[in-house]
Amino acid sequence: MRYLFTSPGGIVMKFYRVKAVAVRHLYEVRRNPSHLTNMLYWPVMNIVVWGFFTIYLAHRGTPSLVSSLLAAVILWGLFNSFQRDMAVGFLDELWSRNLLNLFGSPLSVTEYVAGLLSVNLIKACIGTVLEAMVALLCYHFNIFPMAVAFVPFVFNLVLFGLAIGIAVTGLIFRYTTKFQVLAWGFAGLLMPLSCVFYPLKSLPVFLSPVAWMLPTTHSFEGMRQALAGGGFSRQHFQWGIALDVAYFLLSVLAFRYLFESARSRGLLVKME
Amino acid sequence: MVLSVEGLTKEFGRFRAVDNISLGLERGEIVGLLGPNGAGKTTTIHMMLGLISPSRGTIRIFGQDLAEERESILQRLNFTSPHAAFPGRLTVLENLLVYAGLYGVSDPADRIMDLLERFGIARLKDKPVSRLSSGETTRLGLCKGFLNDPELLLLDEPTVYLDPEAALQVRETLLEMQRLRRTTILFASHNMREVQRTCSRLIFMSHGRIIASGTAIEVTRQILRENREVPALDEVFVHVARRHRHEVLSR
Repeated sequence: MRYLFTSPGGIVMKFYRVKAVAVRHLYEVRRNPSHLTNMLYWPVMNIVVWGFFTIYLAHRGTPSLVSSLLAAVILWGLFNSFQRDMAVGFLDELWSRNLLNLFGSPLSVTEYVAGLLSVNLIKACIGTVLEAMVALLCYHFNIFPMAVAFVPFVFNLVLFGLAIGIAVTGLIFRYTTKFQVLAWGFAGLLMPLSCVFYPLKSLPVFLSPVAWMLPTTHSFEGMRQALAGGGFSRQHFQWGIALDVAYFLLSVLAFRYLFESARSRGLLVKME
Repeated sequence: MVLSVEGLTKEFGRFRAVDNISLGLERGEIVGLLGPNGAGKTTTIHMMLGLISPSRGTIRIFGQDLAEERESILQRLNFTSPHAAFPGRLTVLENLLVYAGLYGVSDPADRIMDLLERFGIARLKDKPVSRLSSGETTRLGLCKGFLNDPELLLLDEPTVYLDPEAALQVRETLLEMQRLRRTTILFASHNMREVQRTCSRLIFMSHGRIIASGTAIEVTRQILRENREVPALDEVFVHVARRHRHEVLSR
């Protein structure tokens, strides 16, 4: 089990290898137009379209919705792009048949994930700041003063995005490209139950317990409470972080099982 | 012993790809790993890299158990494989810089330029890998294989897409490394002449088993069961491949 997962001595990582993985993906961002599009173009388009919609809502006399909608668009964009890029980053290796070279080197999976994580955090931050700037310049919605109140909820979103990215990557390792659609679609599956644009109480009663078990729901509920002047929601943050830790541990365990299963079946060297 | 394999077996369901093989490589040896397609050569090499987990058996490299000390072992070895590729959008230089980083190579720029010159692809350093020919990609793989100045090299068909001149260059480099640094090399190939010129010892596999090992003349005699005076590896290969195919069909 220790083969590819950790370095000897537990989870100790070598910084130069993490950096090499990060450099590899930064080169990819520079050379691959689809990464630049995902990082810059789609966040801007997203906020522009939703911004027009909020202008319409404001004209209809529902201005209180505007800020919560735009904030939700920005935070959901961050979560969606982060979890997608974690899985797509791995797919880049698979599509280029680079896995054999990568994992035949001293690189451990932990180091690989750390390198990918660092690049994707930077990409997600760039996209989010860009969205926030467009919201400020075009729709006079300033999210920056609320940034401090949002940080704990953003942290929860990133941790959940990481857990999903790891789980999806594990599924791709084991079942190859049959599961690659999850890289783009998994966040969409969670969206209706995550209460991104509407409060939890809007959901049918029988769906509420399911929604409550998603860290995303707690992030968006907490965000709405902060926007409404209700201050920081300790309850939603604590629920979110507890669920995140549980999902993260589950995703790591699932990944280990799926990865070892793939290695045992010789799939690491046959992936296409 | 640089590499020691004991009772190594790999089963994929009911199919046994590698069947209870044991072998050892001493420091500075160049050993040929031969056999027809499906003999188990590549699976064996992939197990030595920890990319496929063995069903049974142990692999010890540099005196350490691969299952326990993967990182420190792989730091000191390298490999090439025709099954491996590189990110196509990255240039030759960018790819090698990434791998130099992964292997912790000091002064990577100098080392990379030296290898690019040696394998004749320095002029391609700024070209995206997707625009390289098969032979050029093979040379890039060889540059990657030599990046960390490995003590053990696992080469799976390293000259498969190369023209004769480039293949000669690779052979000369291997022999030079063996002479200067006493690098140990396991060399899997279908090119019998090349193997005979390069390797001091051969291991012949078929159906996942080692069916003969020794010098070229010893392997020739063992497999053809004749008292030949000169090695006849092409003949040996055809003999084994036909028998291999016949057995596969009869199954």
